[in-house]
Amino acid sequence: MSQPKASPLTYGAVALGAVGVIATYLAAGPQRFWANWVMWFVLIFTMALGALFIVALEHLVNAKWSVPIRRIPERIASLLLPAIPIGLIALGALPVLYPGTRPEAAHHPILAGKAFWLSIPFFSVRTLIAFALVVVGLTVLVGGSLKQDTSRDPAFNIKARKFAPAFMAIFALVITVVAFDWVSGLTPEWYSDIFGVYIFAGAFLSGLAATALSVLYLQGQDRLAGVRGDHLYNLGGFLFAFTVFWSYIGFAQYMLMWYANMPDEVIYYKVRLAGMWRYITIALGAMHFILPFFVLVTRDAKQDPRRLRRVAFLMLAAHVLDIYWLIFPILGGGPLLSWPELSFALFFIGGIVLWLRAAMEKGEDMPVGDPFLREGLEFRL
Amino acid sequence: MSETSYSVLGLFDTPDALMQAIPKVRAAKAGTVEAYTPYPIHGIDDALGLRRSPLGGMVLVMGVLGAITAFGFEYWISAIDYPIITGGKSPSSWEAFIPIMFEVTVLFATFTAGLGMLLLLNRLPFFGHPVLSSKSIKGITRDRFALAIEAEDESFDAAAAARILQDAGAVEVEVLPAPDRSPFLTSTYILRTLGGIFVACVVAGTGIYTLTKWFPLLRPMVNMQDQPRLNAQKASTFFKDGRGMQAPVKGTVARGYLPTATGTQDASASLVNPLPRTKEVFAVGRKAYLNRCEVCHGALGNGVGSLTAAYGAKPANLQSQQFQDYPDGKMYWAIVNGKNAMPSHAADLNESQRWAVIHYVRALQRAQNAKDADLKVVAP
Repeated sequence: MSQPKASPLTYGAVALGAVGVIATYLAAGPQRFWANWVMWFVLIFTMALGALFIVALEHLVNAKWSVPIRRIPERIASLLLPAIPIGLIALGALPVLYPGTRPEAAHHPILAGKAFWLSIPFFSVRTLIAFALVVVGLTVLVGGSLKQDTSRDPAFNIKARKFAPAFMAIFALVITVVAFDWVSGLTPEWYSDIFGVYIFAGAFLSGLAATALSVLYLQGQDRLAGVRGDHLYNLGGFLFAFTVFWSYIGFAQYMLMWYANMPDEVIYYKVRLAGMWRYITIALGAMHFILPFFVLVTRDAKQDPRRLRRVAFLMLAAHVLDIYWLIFPILGGGPLLSWPELSFALFFIGGIVLWLRAAMEKGEDMPVGDPFLREGLEFRL
Repeated sequence: MSETSYSVLGLFDTPDALMQAIPKVRAAKAGTVEAYTPYPIHGIDDALGLRRSPLGGMVLVMGVLGAITAFGFEYWISAIDYPIITGGKSPSSWEAFIPIMFEVTVLFATFTAGLGMLLLLNRLPFFGHPVLSSKSIKGITRDRFALAIEAEDESFDAAAAARILQDAGAVEVEVLPAPDRSPFLTSTYILRTLGGIFVACVVAGTGIYTLTKWFPLLRPMVNMQDQPRLNAQKASTFFKDGRGMQAPVKGTVARGYLPTATGTQDASASLVNPLPRTKEVFAVGRKAYLNRCEVCHGALGNGVGSLTAAYGAKPANLQSQQFQDYPDGKMYWAIVNGKNAMPSHAADLNESQRWAVIHYVRALQRAQNAKDADLKVVAP
């Protein structure tokens, strides 16, 4: 299943992408460059954070079924390490893309009151705090779990269970920083209370999809012995539930704004329902809800590796489209999809694949030191 | 052991023993194999060879049907039957339909799941399953695991079934008699049920009636009567003018009825009577004329009405040359706005009644000034 031969190809793709990324800055202008950069930062960060959330959730509710596959979201969560420098670079987008940081914001009737909050120093400080908190979570949950492989010390489970509730608070804070500052900050006149939950739904969903894909990838190499349809069923069930959750939040947000029809709120959707963006919006609804809903609704579909793999790919693509749909309309005009976007995709997707493939080769595939591993392997529906 | 035996129960001490016995017992093909356990056992569905429940498919179909039904109802009501624009939205806005579509989807799906499971798949109501009256039932609901071979037809051999179970490792065997499958919807049962409902209604009705009669302050539910609402034709302290019903805002126009004859009388002279001269229109005009105009202008339109003497006023003589030459539009304007001592009749006569009255007045004028050509021989 795995093709080590494909690695040079991936390296080549990343290199080609990197050339395109630099060319974007020089040829297509900083606006487009930073829009792409912020989009990929948000994508990688939310996916890795969603994976870390899965790990913390398992400790929080003391789940046994997911112990055999816990190493997978732990490895995906390690993407937070490259995501942090990407995020630090993305701070360069603040003066270009974020209207709240521009000097004329001081005279804007809405933005003037938020001037301090949106200013570059405070924005950066919030982001740095969020990164520090994420590193703490990563160290305790993932680092501790890796250490347990050799120490076989069950004390880690107790420690992680005690830390998990605190991590939930950290997670809420960090995902809110991503949602309100990095995404919603692009349109600071617009506000939606539920927006953080919307981003959370996408983050959890993409973390799950990446986990499901990696589990299937490792299974294809006969590495996760003992992980079976029952485990896949739970992953599929989560995917199914959270496609519905995402749609619920997304539609609830849209419907309230559509009903109230307040100019400063509804402009967000007005832009996204005009011209070509209208089709992107419809495609997003179809890809993120209708298609996965009907594909995953049966019991067999959640256990069938082939169908689960396709849906997981679809969900990742839908998540990319979702973030693209959130960020790119601020550039004005129709949807942009040309060589800059493609080279960013090549660069970052290639990078993610390389990072994850390296992570998958390191250490044990299962948390062998976890005392609940056997119980998890014996999990039956 | 008689042929009327319904099933033979074999009891096992552990779930593993039960699971191991299932293939052996099924291979014997002595009857339908069924398991009774205190809690669900993983993999027992496959071991018993149970077919996949069709409930999921039923729920999906009914859920989709629920969504379509709700959409159909809402679309019909909001966009076709009684389209009202609310909040500046198009009457056929699908966004507003979604919450109700969701509710109806859930309603249809849950009812299908619940009732389909109970009535269609489990064949309830079925009182007194034989296993419930067995000696082993206490053990089955506590710590023992039972495998039953159930009779499929008359040829069921209880002794053979018991032997199969014992060979498979059952520690105890119990033969259950056939259940009483006599129909429960007998005439006595129905009569008693209906009688019971009737008696309950009579007792509750008279009880409530007498109680509220004797203790009028003990009204069972007052929320409906004492709500803070505005009553039609009643005073209210809510508005400054003390009225419960408020007049429409000045200048309010009914949908589809744009006001006419709003300018001067001369400006209205060009209005054309839109009504055809048919029997029905003349009947309407005659009725309205007799109700509203006759008291002053007289039955013939000559200005000699029953109230003329009492008022001392001089209503217009509609038979005079001035009014014979009067354009329809000016007459219409006078009806709407009033003229001299004549008050406005806009509130009394609607637009088509006003035009009908004008047709009728023209008929009166022609009747009083008939020419020879107007005389036609009407066939009897």
